[in-house]
Order: sequence, then C-alpha cells, then structure tokens
Amino acid sequence: MNKYTRRDFIRTTSKMIGVAGAGSAFYIPELLSAEQQTLRIGYLPIIDSAPLLIAYANGYFQDEGLKLARPRMIRSWSTLSESFMANKFNLVHLLFPIPLWMRYQNRIPVKILAWDHTNGSAITVRADSEIHGFSDLGGKQIAVPYWYSMHNTIIQMGLRKAGLTPVIQPQNKRLEKNQVNLFVLSPPQMAPALLGKKIDGYIVAEPFNALAELKIKARIMRFVGDIWKNHPCCVVVMKEALVKKSPVFTAKVVHAVARAQLWINHNREKTAKILSREETRLLPQSYRILHHALNEYSTDMYGIDSPIHAIRHPEWKLNRVDFQPYPYPSATHVILNEMKKTLVEGNSQFLNQLDPTFIEKDLIEKRFVKEAINNLGGMSKFPHMDLTSPWEREEIIDFAI
Amino acid sequence: MNQKKILFQQKLFYSTAGCLIFLAIWVILGYILLKYPDYSQFYGFHPLATIKAFYHLLYSPHFWDAVIASLRRVFFGLSFAFIVGVPVGLLIGYYDSIWMMTNIPIQFLRMISPLSWMPIAILILPSFEKAIYFLITMACIWPIILSTAQGVNRMNPQILAMAKNQGANDIQLVFKVVLPTAVPSIIVGLRMALGISWIILVPAEFLGISSGLGYSINDARDTLEYDRLLALVIAIGFIGLFLDTSVRLLEKQSDLRYIMRIG
Repeated sequence: MNKYTRRDFIRTTSKMIGVAGAGSAFYIPELLSAEQQTLRIGYLPIIDSAPLLIAYANGYFQDEGLKLARPRMIRSWSTLSESFMANKFNLVHLLFPIPLWMRYQNRIPVKILAWDHTNGSAITVRADSEIHGFSDLGGKQIAVPYWYSMHNTIIQMGLRKAGLTPVIQPQNKRLEKNQVNLFVLSPPQMAPALLGKKIDGYIVAEPFNALAELKIKARIMRFVGDIWKNHPCCVVVMKEALVKKSPVFTAKVVHAVARAQLWINHNREKTAKILSREETRLLPQSYRILHHALNEYSTDMYGIDSPIHAIRHPEWKLNRVDFQPYPYPSATHVILNEMKKTLVEGNSQFLNQLDPTFIEKDLIEKRFVKEAINNLGGMSKFPHMDLTSPWEREEIIDFAI
Repeated sequence: MNQKKILFQQKLFYSTAGCLIFLAIWVILGYILLKYPDYSQFYGFHPLATIKAFYHLLYSPHFWDAVIASLRRVFFGLSFAFIVGVPVGLLIGYYDSIWMMTNIPIQFLRMISPLSWMPIAILILPSFEKAIYFLITMACIWPIILSTAQGVNRMNPQILAMAKNQGANDIQLVFKVVLPTAVPSIIVGLRMALGISWIILVPAEFLGISSGLGYSINDARDTLEYDRLLALVIAIGFIGLFLDTSVRLLEKQSDLRYIMRIG
C-alpha cells in the first residue's frame, strides 16, 4: 500500500532531470544532417597543421559553404587522438601510424582522406657533438616524438642500415657501442633535453628543428626527406561514419585542404606570416622561426660543401617541407612493412596480420582527393610529380650513410 | 596598543627579511647559471631578464585575457567542488554509517591524479572549457569533503544535545549549530582546494582552449622563451598569493564570529 507522496514526486522528477542532463552531455553531433554539420578542426602547433590552418585562414572552407569555428590547438598527440575519438573534432591531422592503430588495434573506423604534407622532419644534434651520420649514433640516446610515428620508423630503418641495434630501455642502463636507446619526448622538451645533455639527438617535425637551430645553435644531422624522397608524415583523417553519411561534406573538406596545400607551395613566406604569433596566432611561434622551418633548405647552408652536410641528395630538389595530398599506394606498402619491423612500446602484434593491399582499400579513401586534385588542375600542379603516371610513384630511399 | 605595534613591526621585519633572502638566492643561482655559456638559452631564468619580461607581460592584453580566463576556470571548478563537497562532507561528518560507507571509495578516488581524468573528461563533457572545470572540481572536491567532515566531527556532542533539548528541529540544527561549527574547518579545506586548483590549472589547460595562464606557459615552452615562462610563473605566484590572502581574511572573519557565538 504505497502512497505516492510529494517526496516520491520530487525524487522521480529529479531523477528524470538527472538522466536528461547526463544524456545531453553525450550529445552526438554526427546525427545532424550534412548541411548542419559544423567542421571542428583539431591540430597540434607544428608545421604539419599548415594545410588545415591555411584553409581556415584563407577562407577556403568558407568558400565551399562549410560552417566552422576557429581550429583548436591541442598540445599532445594523445589528447588530440582522444578528442578526435570522442567526436570533439571531426577533422584532424594525425601521424600516419595513428589511424592505423585506431582502425586495426582499437577498432575505431577512421579513414585517411589525403596526405597532409611530405618531408618536414629532421634529425637534430648539438652543434659541438661528433655526430655526423647514422653510424655515429652508436651508444647514444635518441628521442622520438611518439612510438606510432614515421619518425620512429625511419630512424630505426637508418640505424639498422648503419649496423646498429635500436633498443628501448631505461636511460641509466648500460648501452653497448652498437646499440641506440630510443624514448619518447614531447617536442617542446626535446631542445632543452638536447642542451642539457640528457639526449644526444632527436628526430621530430618542424618547427622544432628550426627552433633548436635558431635558439640553441643546434645542428641538423640529416633531413628525413633527403633520405626517403617525399615521404609522408601526417595524414588528414575523418571518421568513416561521417565520410559515408556526408560525402558532399567530405568532398568539400578535401577540396579546401588540397587548395590550401597548392597555395602554400607557392606562398611560403605569406604562410609563415599568416600563421605566426604576429598575425593569427594559430601557431605560437614567431614569423622568423616559421619562415626558417618552411623554407630554409639551401645548399649553401646544408649542402655537400657546407660543414653541416645535411643534404646529400641536392639533385632531388626538395624543399624543407612540401605539401601534396595524394596518398601514393607504394608509400603505404613501405610504411606498413617497415612498421612491422619497428620497435615500439605496446602491443604491435596486430600489424603482422595486416596486408598493405588490404589497407590501401580499407583505410585510405582516395576518390575525394583524386577529384579534388583534378578540380585544381591535375597532379602537375603539385611538385615532384611524374607526369607519365601521376597516380603512382616509386619509393626512393637512400640513407647515403 | 603598544604590544600590537611591536607585533606588527616584528611581522614586517621578518617577512621583508624572508623575501630578500629568497631574492638573493635567486640572483645567486642565476649568476651561477650564466657562468656556463652552454646554458645561454636559459639566460631567460635570470632575474633581470625575467623582470623585463614581467614588465612586458603586464602591458600585453593577452596576459590579462589569460588571467581572466584562468580565474574563471578556477572559480567554476572550485564552486562546483564547494557546492557538492560541503553537503557531502556534512553528511559524512554527521552520520557514522555514511562515513563508514564512503571512507574507502573516497580515499581511493582522491589518490587518482586529476590529469588521469582527462580522457574521461574529454569524452563526457560537451566542451573543453567544461572539461577543465571538471578536472579542477575532481582535484578540489576531496579536501573540501574531508575538512568539512572533520569540522562536523570536531563538534562538541553536548552542544548538539543542548540544542535538541531546547527543541531545535533538523533544519535549525544543521544551519544554526552544525554548519557554523564546521565553518573554520571548511575554510581551511577551501584554502587547500584553492592551492590545488591553481596547481593543476597549468596542466589542465593542455586541453583545446585558446587562452589562459597555463596556455601561455605552454606557449612559452613551445617557443623556448624561458624569460616569459618565468615571468608567467611569477605572475601566477602573485595571483595565487592574492587569492589565498583573501580567503584567509574570510577565515579571520568567520573565526571572529565563531568565537563571539560561543563566548
């Protein structure tokens, strides 16, 4: 015999309000239709984010009729990945291996829509150190920005090529002369660690090499692009559900990004100026540093006759960073095969079950980027394209040790 | 009157001496650092460079935006912690059964570094700003709960019996006897929570917001500008000192009222 008292009424209503309140916190924006979809961009304060930022700053997204707010700066790959997975962002740039991990290890369906940029990374050492090449790295401590990164993969390729063994162990443990110890440091910590002699070198994306050169008089050992010609580093990623549900939205996004990449290639100084802290503050660095990070690749400074000797393939005629969107299948093959051999912390067993050809079709969505490139005038507009076969290329990797 | 004057003079003397000694140590350390040319990049940590950077900071509008943004976050985070923490603390302090039920879960939860809550915060809160409020609340709520509970515990049970004897009902008991007794402890908890909130503000602002003191510090780190970094640290120190002093004035007020009520 239960009397429905006022107390019960209050209890029930407050429970309902509580549930409704909690429910609204799980608000899933993906359920909106494509026209109402707002573009939410997340990025890290590195040069890699330039295409997304310039597409915003120059109004390319807006030209396509897309609604968006100012892109949000996140300080670490983990937080950016978590926020992307939690749908705080629907467009991000990520290191190539991260979406691979997301899709095949964590079973989160994401799609790579285009390459974000090529080159733009380097190995930096102290100016007074005796390290001039991979073979000098024996017995040294080297920092990488993230285990699941091109940087980690490529440096291990180089170490093995020089006959050295990469290891992951505590810094104070004894290191043999043919071993190289790797560990993760966040990019802003790398320059101070190098200066304080806590590490002997690091491999990272710009502008942290330029920053070290200009501020602590560090020296570039090698540019990564000079080893693997036009290698990919970051990629443009969206959730598969969004791509499938809103193909028009996706096409507009990819088109704007490709247009931005084209513009940056021809307006490098302006790019540095726009993104710097003196103008939009989308990147916290000053114009001087961004300019150096985007453009300083002269043979006078780095070429064969210079003391730094960081560029060993001047005939490749690269830039310090290049921007082109097409995700060449051959590169995917190389990356996946090399990642299987790369030492990381964490379980990478699932990589062994992956087939590059399968990944090509399953992870990477090429139709939007192909359409965007054709709309912009074809692959000939972008640098280093082989006009006879624009959609394919041969991977050229030469460590020149 | 004379005694008060002497006490005040003593206080002035010792606190000035303390600050001067602190400054001297800093200058000496800076001088030692400068002797190594390798560490020239860290010249920014030297007092002179820092003071110069501090001066520039005060004139930059970005800095004041950052102060307001960070204060706002601390305000909301602390307020939520207070609004939830005090009632919970009262319940825990008053009812033994509730204390026994919640003791272990609370001890467990409070040991979790607030920054480990980051992925959860990102997942369940609708915006980064609110995620930061959540992180601050998760850090600050424990000292408030525990000190409130302690404040209630400390209460003389005879006073409670006396009040009940005189016919006080539940509401009157809580607001006129229990709460005023617990206020000094609550304020102590508030001071601790304030300190904690200020400390985790910097790493909490790692999330996707676009201004704040922690944000500015991260910018300074990203660009290797250590003079600006240290200037920001000093600014944060001053603001924290100011906030803490304000809460302590509140404490003195409430102590006075408490004494007057009992005496």
